[in-house]
Amino acid sequence: MAARVVTVDRRSLRAKGGAFGARAFAKGLSVTWRHFSRNLMGWVRGTPTVATVMFPEEDVVKPAAFRGMPVLVQMDDGKERCVACGLCEWACPVDCISIDPAETPDPIERHPLRFDIDMGRCMYCGLCEEACPEEAIVMSDRVEISAFSRGGIVWNKEDLLVPQDQLARRLDWIRRSYDR
Amino acid sequence: MTERSGFKKPVKVVIDGREIVAEAGEMLLQVALDNGVEIPHYCYHPKLSIDGSCRMCQVKIEKAPKLAISCNTPVADGMVVDTKAGEVVEARKAVMELLLLNHPLDCPICDQAGECYLQDYSFGHGRSEARTTSPRRKGVKRYPIGPRVVFDQERCILCRRCVRFTHEISKTDELRVFGAGDRSRIATSQDRPLDNPYSINVADVCPVGALLSADFHHKRRVWFLEETETVCPTCSNGCNVKIGAFRNRIERLVPRRNDEVNDTWMCDHGRLNYAFVQDDTRLREPAIAGREPREPVPVAGPIDYTRDSDGREVRAAGPSVDEAIAAAAASLRAAVATYGENSVAVVLTPTLTNEETLLLARLVREELKTPHFALAVPLGLSDDFLIKPEKVANARGARDLGVGPGDGGKDLAGILAACASGEIKVLWVVGSDGLVAAAGLDAVEPAVANLEALLLQDTNRSALTDRATVLVPGCTWAEKDGSMTNHAGRVQRIRPALRPPAGLVADGEVFARLASALRGEATAPFEPRTAFAEVAKAVPSYVGLEWARLGSRGLAAGQGA
Ligand code: SF4
Ligand code: SF4
Ligand code: SF4
Ligand code: SF4
Ligand code: FES
Repeated sequence: MAARVVTVDRRSLRAKGGAFGARAFAKGLSVTWRHFSRNLMGWVRGTPTVATVMFPEEDVVKPAAFRGMPVLVQMDDGKERCVACGLCEWACPVDCISIDPAETPDPIERHPLRFDIDMGRCMYCGLCEEACPEEAIVMSDRVEISAFSRGGIVWNKEDLLVPQDQLARRLDWIRRSYDR
Repeated sequence: MTERSGFKKPVKVVIDGREIVAEAGEMLLQVALDNGVEIPHYCYHPKLSIDGSCRMCQVKIEKAPKLAISCNTPVADGMVVDTKAGEVVEARKAVMELLLLNHPLDCPICDQAGECYLQDYSFGHGRSEARTTSPRRKGVKRYPIGPRVVFDQERCILCRRCVRFTHEISKTDELRVFGAGDRSRIATSQDRPLDNPYSINVADVCPVGALLSADFHHKRRVWFLEETETVCPTCSNGCNVKIGAFRNRIERLVPRRNDEVNDTWMCDHGRLNYAFVQDDTRLREPAIAGREPREPVPVAGPIDYTRDSDGREVRAAGPSVDEAIAAAAASLRAAVATYGENSVAVVLTPTLTNEETLLLARLVREELKTPHFALAVPLGLSDDFLIKPEKVANARGARDLGVGPGDGGKDLAGILAACASGEIKVLWVVGSDGLVAAAGLDAVEPAVANLEALLLQDTNRSALTDRATVLVPGCTWAEKDGSMTNHAGRVQRIRPALRPPAGLVADGEVFARLASALRGEATAPFEPRTAFAEVAKAVPSYVGLEWARLGSRGLAAGQGA
């Protein structure tokens, strides 16, 4: 098989590249300057124009489809909606949910005596939410899991309960997107 | 083609194009199941009479005018059966729809979920959506129909398996179908509770979650259970069971089928007798009188506190198992040297495996050379079905292996009297519950009061625990591997379902270490499989039995040849 020989003119390439580099550099700087001046004006006028916020003093409003830490839905009577069916525990790919079921005297006869999620392991995949037949575990917009000990990042039932009206937007989104 | 042997005339049937030889008179459904052809069914149960009420098992038989229920159709020569025909599929769908018409679809809170025929068949043979809009019929929920059984009427599909169980097996007739048509329901006659020694079996036969074991109610999802095939330790019948464990704790026992022993049943007492394996009475720390006890090691939970961050076991100061064994050996040796062999006696409660018992018997005969060796067997009520009077699993095995007084040896009462009179100085007790139950605390108290040393090997706290000079905690049946012999001489495997408490070893290993301490030379560690070969040689009727052939159902003594 005969080899194909390509002759490259390095000199002209280098010249072209140099010119291109200078152009790109100038363009980049102009973007930076444009944003800088816009931000500066926005800040001076009190109407910020960028997404960056002063976290943690400030926070952003996340879209309903955002998947933060999974939390448990708390009903208006203060009890969890979860019936400890164990489907999320089974669905979780990293096995970070651990539930001890128990009987209650309530009409809904079963509840989780213990419901722990190891947030250090959770990867916010949302499979627990999708598996739940009771809309009892949903992905929240929380993302902060810092704690002073390893045990502190294992969230128990009390840590996980969030009143359902605070989760209305996500619950609504689930019903729409999972076609329930 | 599958060959079957029997006295009855063989007939040839074709099921789904496969030719199968069966016996005349056998039911088509059973023949199909035996040959690996899955036909969905609810009311049929191999150990109950045929009811034919659920209609789920319908199949198409060539030249028959309509679909037939396979559970109640005897096979006939030349029968050609189709279990997958279009009409069959449609019929199953219709049956499923009818059964689910009033079903509450409680799966998330139903203990049966995961092992429910209704769930399985609904996936396999039903439709995924309900066509009805009318409200579902309401019924009583979680009704305590008996002290150990919970009833949920809404989930019942009226297959009448439970009714037939109480009529044919427990013969107590508590359950009946009342009402007719849409109002039919299961209830107890004259409000007599479902209370018989075998009542929880109705939860096993119930194909749905209508009848449930109160003990297992809302305890654990079945798909999280690790199941181990073993044998019930509570009486000498040796019913075949499965341990369902989760996070190293037993959550339930369920019977498994062995037609030679327990068909598919077990008694309630045996089923519920597992708490001792994991409750607070369990002995976890060895003790030597006069020494500081070990700090109790916290038990393992989701975070394992029994190990440090490098994975090493957390151990508190105090005697270890090996130190306790050394102390026991020293005390035995001292007694033999000072007072002679007859000053030592050994009492065994036969909860040990055959392999362990053989090791103990050899130790007593060859090392201690004492003739005072007695079996303490607790006795209790029995019936003519499963429950046997000897309330330990391996009394027969211990007897077969020759546990008992040697030449001039004393029996249990004699040993206790000799302890009380000071003739016997050191008493070695393996399992105190049998001793206390068989002899009575009144006879045991004066006996142990006068001893120089009480060596105790036990699993749970008892009246004797605090009196022991040396205490070696052992493993329960759920943590051991080995074989046991039931009252009828059937040798069956038990298998370990749990890890023993940190630092503890099986009694067989204790005997092996004690033997090496007494002999002053190393002996091989205890290994059940090789030890079984010795057992098979030691008992004439066990000759030829092999570990591998014990399988999950065991072998009868004499079957080795
Ligand atoms: S979001 Fe995913 S990883 Fe986290 S708990 Fe749910 S299933 Fe597990
Ligand atoms: S799937 Fe839902 S109802 Fe079931 S245990 Fe998880 S959170 Fe509770
Ligand atoms: S309670 Fe269970 S076993 Fe009894 S009839 Fe109903 S479904 Fe069948
Ligand atoms: S009859 Fe005996 S062996 Fe069978 S389950 Fe009951 S106690 Fe256990
Ligand atoms: S199994 Fe045949 S009718 Fe129920």
